Amino acid sequence: METQQQDETVLREPSKLSFESQRTRRSILASYWIVIFLALPFWWHTTSIERLSLPSARVRAQVEKELAFPVTIDLDATNSSLDIQSLKNDFRQLQKPVLLSSQRWKGIDMQLRLKEDRGTQVVPIPGTYSVAVGKAGALGPKRQLTISENDVPSLLEILSRLVAPYHTSVDSDLREQRVVQYAARYRLAFSLLNEDASLGQTITGWDVDNAIAEYLSPTLSSLSVLHNFTIESQVQLHAPLAFAPQPVTVGNDSAHGLSQEDLTVFINSAHWTLSSSVSNDPVLHFVLFVPSSTQKPLYILDDFGSPTDSSSFLLPQWGGVFILNIAGEAADKLSLSRSHLQPVFSAFRHQLLALLGVPPIPAGMNLVDDDPLSDWQLDAVLRRRALEATQGAQETLYSIVKLVEQIDNMPVGQHVKGDVQDALTALEQVYKVSPSSPTLALRWSSEAFSLASRAFFNPGMLALLYFPAEHKYAVYTPLFASITFPLVVALGREILAWWRDRRQQSRR
Amino acid sequence: MASSRERERFDEDLHIRPLRDGKVASTFSFTTLLQDASPRDPLSLAYDDESQHYTLFPLALGQILRTYAITELHLALNAGKWRYESWGFPEEPGVGTGAELWAWMGDGASTTIDERWQGLRNALAGLFCASLGSMDDQRTTSPFLTFTPEGSLPNATLPYRLRHATLPSEHVCTENLTPFLKLLPCKSLSGLARLLNPHRLFDADWHGMSVHVTWREGQGVEVRLIFQTVIDPIRNSGGKRRDWSFESLFGRVVENRCPVATTSRVRIQLPSEETYAILPDPTSNADNIATYDTSVGQDPLDVSMRWPEEYAFQYQITALDLPEIPLTPLTLQRTLIGSSQAQGQLSIVIQNTLSSQIQTIYLETMPWLVQLYIHTLQIHCNGVQRNDLISNLSYTPSVPHARPAILQSVLTLPPKSTLRLTFDITKSFLRYTEHPPDAQRGWDLPPAVFVPIISVGNRSDVLPRLYTPTLLVDLATPDFSMPYNVIILSCTLMTLIFGSIFNLLTRKFVIVDLKQGKEQKGS
Repeated sequence: METQQQDETVLREPSKLSFESQRTRRSILASYWIVIFLALPFWWHTTSIERLSLPSARVRAQVEKELAFPVTIDLDATNSSLDIQSLKNDFRQLQKPVLLSSQRWKGIDMQLRLKEDRGTQVVPIPGTYSVAVGKAGALGPKRQLTISENDVPSLLEILSRLVAPYHTSVDSDLREQRVVQYAARYRLAFSLLNEDASLGQTITGWDVDNAIAEYLSPTLSSLSVLHNFTIESQVQLHAPLAFAPQPVTVGNDSAHGLSQEDLTVFINSAHWTLSSSVSNDPVLHFVLFVPSSTQKPLYILDDFGSPTDSSSFLLPQWGGVFILNIAGEAADKLSLSRSHLQPVFSAFRHQLLALLGVPPIPAGMNLVDDDPLSDWQLDAVLRRRALEATQGAQETLYSIVKLVEQIDNMPVGQHVKGDVQDALTALEQVYKVSPSSPTLALRWSSEAFSLASRAFFNPGMLALLYFPAEHKYAVYTPLFASITFPLVVALGREILAWWRDRRQQSRR
Repeated sequence: MASSRERERFDEDLHIRPLRDGKVASTFSFTTLLQDASPRDPLSLAYDDESQHYTLFPLALGQILRTYAITELHLALNAGKWRYESWGFPEEPGVGTGAELWAWMGDGASTTIDERWQGLRNALAGLFCASLGSMDDQRTTSPFLTFTPEGSLPNATLPYRLRHATLPSEHVCTENLTPFLKLLPCKSLSGLARLLNPHRLFDADWHGMSVHVTWREGQGVEVRLIFQTVIDPIRNSGGKRRDWSFESLFGRVVENRCPVATTSRVRIQLPSEETYAILPDPTSNADNIATYDTSVGQDPLDVSMRWPEEYAFQYQITALDLPEIPLTPLTLQRTLIGSSQAQGQLSIVIQNTLSSQIQTIYLETMPWLVQLYIHTLQIHCNGVQRNDLISNLSYTPSVPHARPAILQSVLTLPPKSTLRLTFDITKSFLRYTEHPPDAQRGWDLPPAVFVPIISVGNRSDVLPRLYTPTLLVDLATPDFSMPYNVIILSCTLMTLIFGSIFNLLTRKFVIVDLKQGKEQKGS
């Protein structure tokens, strides 16, 4: 009995120890849980994806809108054989809703104002087109048009061709697929390619800067409302073809020919260093190809395999090629002078206009004052480009909004939001300026399009797209599950103990 | 007919030198001169550039030079180790292993020097299919003492800046040669470039290509494209003879000439004390150099050289106590000492073989992953500590994850002496994402560069640059193969520690009376 008494004095009751008190234990447990709860907002903040709200209502409203350029034509019908009544009827036919909603008349709001007798004064509005009947068909400066008496019956047809030259038929749809995408600046790369210089009759130089100055510069400067151009040129002495042209006979002479299929693979980009990597501006290539003395003359063949007169062809959205066959026995080394280059550069000029989507003048019309391009043509391109860019910007913005709504994990940063807002502002500017100036409308719409594209291709949008929730759990569970378990169990035990204590107390 | 050819001039040259160890060093150089042209004024970068029309000058390179207003540019891509002691100085000094790019640019433009340097790197990377884009701030330095401009710098009122970067782990292969050849007016289809046959070139003991753009006052902008090789004819002939010909070296002969080359010549260094035969007869022969003018003849040219009296080539095996006389005034050795992944020592041994004093500029570039301790620098000359032999020391310490360290100084080497420099280094512990794809291989350190200056009387001759071989440093590398296992293992460890501490803190101790329990059981 005595030993047992001694034992009890040595073994103190554990709950009486300072570190074993219920209070200390509970405060330790509570502090763990408090730290966890305090850390939760930090965890949430550091792992959540930044998703700023996009102005989707504005974007949706913007998509509904349609751009329309008013085109007002003043027709001087005072001293001519114009049948005004039938003209009015025809015009009413043209204004049918079915026609107006077609691809061709989209975005164009054509108005015809007739000056029927000398007395009435038509108030001139800036930007209107004036049409008069004269001796010969001519496109004058300052949006003027003179049509000959013979063309009077087809007046409306000519006007439509000038005002809405695009999407007139299935054929023209195909032609318009050649047009390059709009860019504010293009690089024009002129390349003189000798197929094989070591075989003799090499063209080692060309007077390219003077030829460009004389045959191209006027066109380029009138196109400057649409695009800026950077010009570069090079000469290559070895530019082999990737295929062997088929031998043909022309008269009694043997020659070589390029079939229509050959033309599609003509550019040997593996061996011809044509592309420039230094800037992001799109490049339009113009290639003057000189066949080697063993391959010349080289002709373009038609579908039936017989040579054609044409020596140039256009590659859609890429550029143009001119094949130059040097005549007969020429010297070993040649240099092309400006006058030699005249046919080459006039072909290049036509190819450039086709690539940029400048409509041709209707048959029977001429340009006065040696103007390279008329205001009618330029305005048509401006309207078309502005319309394309506006539609492109609207579609891109709509895609961004839809994509962000669909994918919950997609981050939307400040840059994307800012770009979308700026694009919307620019689009609103387009609608504001489109009645007065197609040039300004194009500038704003292309800015809107580039901003919208920049937002769409923002690399930040992709950041967490491919990091699914399963991966997150796989990384979290080994740590969190095994830590949470003792915490929860300890908490449960304490609550149970506390509840028991209370019940015992109340029973007493 | 107008001639625009006079503005541009193209010359090609091939220099072949039989080496004393039986190998053959060949240097192709293709020079295009854009006469009366000048580099773009950096101030004009704010405006549109004028139209560029080139006939012989490579347009792709011209565009890059114009876009970033580069005054002088040197790019070298080499593979292998140039052995100075038995091969002597190379024709073109830039022979450091891997890629090296340096450029002089005028300051004061609307874009900063570093933006232009970045653009230049990326553009050249695209042009030459090399990973030059990774020569970022962590590799870029400005060692203006060692890399002085080779041409002239226009408009001296503007400050000019140098940017230099090396990429020692860059491998050079066909994908770099193809764009290189496309810059030549005749490509590799005619002229001397016909001999640049990738199958043979990349089989060589050493090969390297380089592009040099300089501006020469009064002449114009000059682009030199250089290809150097060291080919071993003994290996190709079954280990016997060192005879060579174009056909045996390159697998091709010069068939037809490049029509636009103003001059096109082959120069062959002739041995001075041996009997040899060379075919065909050279166009001219002076100062032990046989010259062929390939623009004269029409027949295919295949130069061959034979040693008729020699049955089998025997390399001079010299006695151990009589080492071979090196062909350069300095021989260099650079090594990393120490097996640990944390610490080590860098040791450089320089030997002056001349019987006169040599001064040399010494450039050491260290990426931040190897930290250099400049206070531990020790210099021993023939075993005696001589700290007075180093002068003009300038040192920029590295910034971790941002900037390399650069050390430039001038060393004085007494006649016939051996100098030994040592530094203590520590190796960094890298972040997970900073390791390269093949992390276990280690990191290549860029070569050190020496520029010997020999003073004779009042005149001092600056010799071409000498590059030491690159070094490989082994850093602590994690196991990249099982990241998920690593996550689970470290989580388990964390949980174990957490669990035991938490348990200790919240455990409730109670007394269990064992005796009482027994009594209860017994009764």
